Amino acid sequence: MERRKEEFEATCKLFIDSVSNYFKVLTEVNSEMGIPYLKESEEIVLKDFTGMIGISGSKKGFVYISADKTMFEDLINIFLGIEDASNADILDMAGEISNVVAGNVRANLGANFMISVPIVFKGKPEELQFPKNVSIYVIPLKWKKHKAFVVVGLE
Amino acid sequence: MIKLLIVDDSSIMRRTIERNLGHYNLEIVGTAATGVEALELVKEKKPDIITLDITMPEMDGITCLVEIMKIHPQAKVMIITALSDKLTGLQALDKGARGFLYKPVNSMALSKAFDKLLKHKSSDGTEKRGV
Repeated sequence: MERRKEEFEATCKLFIDSVSNYFKVLTEVNSEMGIPYLKESEEIVLKDFTGMIGISGSKKGFVYISADKTMFEDLINIFLGIEDASNADILDMAGEISNVVAGNVRANLGANFMISVPIVFKGKPEELQFPKNVSIYVIPLKWKKHKAFVVVGLE
Repeated sequence: MIKLLIVDDSSIMRRTIERNLGHYNLEIVGTAATGVEALELVKEKKPDIITLDITMPEMDGITCLVEIMKIHPQAKVMIITALSDKLTGLQALDKGARGFLYKPVNSMALSKAFDKLLKHKSSDGTEKRGV
């Protein structure tokens, strides 16, 4: 049990490093990661827009990044120089950041750590349900003035 | 003018690549969000250079690369992907990719990779840009 907890925390660390690298490389502004915690209540940790990646192969579960609209707008402004991003652009941005964060973890976990194409959504879809057999870690994230969550669920 | 096709399922990424390569003498002949769309454009436009994502719906980038090499083997394909394991990189190079970049890619890394892709030596040893 203890070993599985350590393995899970090590995997979460890979996601934290991946998120930090994303912001550092693309925005030259470091992100700050809060203290991760195990989600125990039924509370669903979601903000305005979310990009989620399914994980299969050597590990099974999901990772998602959820943030307020303004964080994705800020990123799009940096990348494309536009200030009036559409909702489609915001969703695309949420999907792309989650794809990069999950994909980069393969540098450590190898090609058997398989990821899906992004699933993106706005708000809190009623049909959203997490599997019962996964441990879910919530990692608070702050970049510039924006607050977001990286949520990792693994069997 | 050098013809470029950009393939990525993210619209933001397609536009970011286009924006960051604006200073090159390139004609963007198309953009595609899936491997299937990309193959149609490769057949129709015969691009000189293709940037190709791997994780895409309908047809992944590695499968698409294999098909591109069958129908237009002269194309220089640069993989731009988040899948940062060594095996994926080696697999792409083995299937015919000429370059490989791991996301997140900033403008400097993209320019450096394109410089390398576009630059080749002529018979008199001088360096030229072109394909």
